[in-house]
Amino acid sequence: MFRVPFLIAVALVIAFGGGVWSTILALDATVGFGAIKLGAWEAFPEAQTDKADPYAKSHRANAGKLLYASAEGLTFTANVDETGARLAGGCSYRITGHTPPARFWTLFAAAPGAPAPSIQSDLPTALNSRIILRDKDGNFDIALSASARPGNWLAVPAEGNFRLTLTLLDTPTAGSSGLIDLTMPRIERTGCGNA
Amino acid sequence: MRKFLFQVFFAVVTGLIGAALLHLVIVLALPDFSERDAYTRVLAEGEIHRFYPLGEKPDAAGLSKDDPFVDMAVCAFDVSERPVRLTAANGGVPFWSLAIYDQSSNEMFSINDRTSAGGVLDLVIATPVQLTTLRKALPPVISQSILFETRQAEGYVVLRSLAPQKSFAEIASQFLSGAICAPFEARSRSRF
Repeated sequence: MFRVPFLIAVALVIAFGGGVWSTILALDATVGFGAIKLGAWEAFPEAQTDKADPYAKSHRANAGKLLYASAEGLTFTANVDETGARLAGGCSYRITGHTPPARFWTLFAAAPGAPAPSIQSDLPTALNSRIILRDKDGNFDIALSASARPGNWLAVPAEGNFRLTLTLLDTPTAGSSGLIDLTMPRIERTGCGNA
Repeated sequence: MRKFLFQVFFAVVTGLIGAALLHLVIVLALPDFSERDAYTRVLAEGEIHRFYPLGEKPDAAGLSKDDPFVDMAVCAFDVSERPVRLTAANGGVPFWSLAIYDQSSNEMFSINDRTSAGGVLDLVIATPVQLTTLRKALPPVISQSILFETRQAEGYVVLRSLAPQKSFAEIASQFLSGAICAPFEARSRSRF
């Protein structure tokens, strides 16, 4: 007797539940298509433009972030290290190499979705190209750890996963498709726990 | 019983097709209906034609700095009646950049201190009609300005300044607080 209402209810629940759930999932999972992947790093150079795909437009309308325009800079994020393992607060990492050409760059670590760390913090939670120490070739070697390290040290959250954000300011690569040939710094895990 | 199972299967398939349709509809329609997009938040900062510096913590409008070293200020504009002129004197910030976005947060124009004239921000946003009038008799005040033509009368501007070390923090925030985003009154000949 209730067969028809039951079938309609099943269809409606799946349609609305599935539709809304899959949309939230898709918008949370990524900024959109058109990512540039360089090792562990990824960037979306067209996310702020009219050329962005519908998912990117939807994501940015929902996130409400003020994105970098092409003359301003390009933001790379990394959630994983060079081997593809999630960046975890309990582990130590090394970032070595150099960035693509840019006038300045800034680097910080924060939990995914968390706001950027404060500059007032006592720990070096953010670094930039002016305060970093380099070797004679201009390469840098940054230690990522929750506890203090000699040399360039970037303090990361002690627990949970974190995400690295590297912003290149005034970079000629922002509007260029030749970015694929450029090298980004490598992120390597040096150990976990107290190692 | 078998018939019923078939009907359930049919209902599930219908539901999945509906879910896929709904997914597409939400993704495509969200930018037009979102109450959390950047333009809405910039408007929520307060009156338009004013720069609002952003802090480290999200303010009432939900906007905050997204980089510890980069100070930001936002200004919403409407050039449907008069052009808007953006100016800021450079007191020695190592880097500043400006982006102009339309209502749907698409980048329309961007500039930084190296691509500007003399490292100083001086830019006029105008509609094609206003720009034609302006160019006919370019007022001397804006003879050095960058003229930006837009068909989208409304939008917002994001101004960033870099403070790579603590000693730059004051210069960077002064640069933003001294920035002006105001309608530009072109003195017309009708005043004679």
